[in-house]
Amino acid sequence: MAKVVSLDNLLASVAARRSEAAPWLGALIDAASEKFAHVGLPNRRVEAWRYSDLAKALHETVKVEADLDTPPVLAEACVAAFENGVLNDTKSSYCAMGAQSLRKVLAEKDSPVAGIIGRVNPQADHPIINLNTALMEEGLVLQVPKGVTLATPLHLRFNWSGVDAASADGRHLRILVVLEEGAEATLFESHDGAPSFATVVTELSLAPNSKLTHVRLENFAAAARQTAATVGAIGEKAAYRGFYFSQGGHFARHEALLKLAGEEADARIDAAYMVADKRHCDNTTVMDHAVPNTTSTQVFRGVLAGSSRGVYQGCVKVAQAAQKTDARQLSRAMLLSHRAEIVTKPELEIFADDVKCSHGATAGELDANALFFLRARGIPEAEARAMLVEAFLIEAMDTVENEAMREIVIACAHNWMLRHAGEASHVE
Amino acid sequence: MLEIKDLHVNVFGKEILKGLSLTVPPGEVHAIMGPNGAGKSTTSYTLAGRAGYEVTGGEIDFYGEDVTALSPEERAAKGIFLAFQYPMEIPGVSTMNFLKTAMNAQAKLRNEPELDAAQFLRTVRAAAKELNISEDMLKRPLNVGFSGGEKKRNETLQMALLKPKLAILDEMDSGLDIDALKLVAEGVNKLRAPDRSFLVITHYQRLLDYIVPDVIHILAGGKIVMSGDKSLALQLEENGYDAVINKAA
Ligand SMILES: Nc1ncnc2c1ncn2[C@@H]1O[C@H](COP(=O)(O)OP(=O)(O)O)[C@@H](O)[C@H]1O
Ligand SMILES: [Mg+2]
Repeated sequence: MAKVVSLDNLLASVAARRSEAAPWLGALIDAASEKFAHVGLPNRRVEAWRYSDLAKALHETVKVEADLDTPPVLAEACVAAFENGVLNDTKSSYCAMGAQSLRKVLAEKDSPVAGIIGRVNPQADHPIINLNTALMEEGLVLQVPKGVTLATPLHLRFNWSGVDAASADGRHLRILVVLEEGAEATLFESHDGAPSFATVVTELSLAPNSKLTHVRLENFAAAARQTAATVGAIGEKAAYRGFYFSQGGHFARHEALLKLAGEEADARIDAAYMVADKRHCDNTTVMDHAVPNTTSTQVFRGVLAGSSRGVYQGCVKVAQAAQKTDARQLSRAMLLSHRAEIVTKPELEIFADDVKCSHGATAGELDANALFFLRARGIPEAEARAMLVEAFLIEAMDTVENEAMREIVIACAHNWMLRHAGEASHVE
Repeated sequence: MLEIKDLHVNVFGKEILKGLSLTVPPGEVHAIMGPNGAGKSTTSYTLAGRAGYEVTGGEIDFYGEDVTALSPEERAAKGIFLAFQYPMEIPGVSTMNFLKTAMNAQAKLRNEPELDAAQFLRTVRAAAKELNISEDMLKRPLNVGFSGGEKKRNETLQMALLKPKLAILDEMDSGLDIDALKLVAEGVNKLRAPDRSFLVITHYQRLLDYIVPDVIHILAGGKIVMSGDKSLALQLEENGYDAVINKAA
């Protein structure tokens, strides 16, 4: 019987970790755990977690079923394979691109990451990032030297199969990617199976003129409980290109917390989420425009079936000095069932006057006229629905430039539709 | 052979068709003319099986089978084709992909073999050329940004590829200038065949100069009030609907 994740268990684990930690890491753990102990596991009374009550989700019993999906295989990639939260070196090839196991790096007395990890875009009051910092054990560190373009993508392959024995305090994974000046890299992150409780924090430090392409895929089984954060700082003329796909889970949340830290820094996120049954899928973003002349664009498209719930919280911050900021966000949701729900919460905190900020949100059903048109041409209802759902998402999926990755993403969407698009064919 | 017998149809609880009867034998072109609001589009949607068009009485026999309980896709597979008055724009679905899906779906429903990719391309290109439809139009999302004429040509292309037994053309002429109208009518006329019938629905006589019907029916108040040969259209043109309908009553 798995133990319930509780604050006491977590703090006991932190104390144990602290006693073994190198001094530099101990200081980091102390700061993080003190803050974490103060808030605890976030529940709905914490504003940012109002629509995604993690504390409650961790108390609910989940039925673990066999996962139908197998983790995607990306040809010609270096792989870091995490099996049930543990980096498996025999299934990995990350060394070929100079990446290192976080476990090893953390154990070093004078660790090269000492001044970097937890400091890329600090989130001092974030309960989950603090928890992750206090308990991080497994993960990966990738540093791409100045001017280097990595020809092959790094595939961070998280797979949760079988019963996760570490459920007393969950698994807390940490990724650190540092792109030095002018460097370029592609990250392909896939999440499969059902962690009983996992946190994943990905820190991205993008030096001037660097470019990171980040494709994340959450293909969780229904019982999965994970909350993840991508925390980044984007330097002058550097670019972040994110594509996120998620099927949600019992509790699946991902936050993109990006700081536009240098002039002409640019961040763009395109996302497609497809959620069915009783699943929960939370997409939260904070675009922090700290200096003048930066741009951010985010387009989230969601399809919600069954009695699922989607959450989109998009916050744009523009500092007083950040004139000429151009920030756009758009959330579009398609509800395939009357019991499905989308919560959209845009937030603007603008302190500069010469800025362009736009946000829009739409929620609607499948277009009945279009559906009839397709059926009148002989296309069966389920197939016609699938075509319209795919048409709604294709713009997002087309932004994935790497062909192999785009094919994987489209296949995921297609599989989802085979399972769920037809299910909405009767009026609910 | 289409036989509509005493058809009653409710739309949103309101009776729109009130005992419509009509027979179109194979190979014939019949026109339905009528004033705005007479129930012309209601007739075409009901024949195609649109949800919300509730048949409360009568039947629609198609080659001896009552199709009123069939889904739109089943009717399509049986050979009923509706060319829409206002074809839908569907972003994200390319015209080519749509055509392929529709042709394959109908083949499957009829237990016929699907076309392979090369056969499909050849067939589509040949049919598109006849209708002056460019390769570029085929690649674009379905009807998105198409002009009125392009949309109607696209409908005609679908008809040519799907080879229906009954084609219902709902206001094929609406929104078309005379050149576009001629092009579409020419496309339709090429598809006339002994085993294919047409139901040409229009408000104006103009279209019937180009698609010449065997029989004209006048629809008013949810019923056919008068049928006759093509000279009926000229009478309507000269005297207007009111005069002709009043005379019939
Ligand atoms: N969706 C609808 N909701 C309510 N009334 C409708 C709807 N569609 C059609 N009608 C009514 O049905 C009648 C017939 O309409 P329609 O078949 O479109 O006529 P036509 O095509 O001959 O101009 C009209 O009185 C119209 O107002
Ligand atoms: Mg009409």
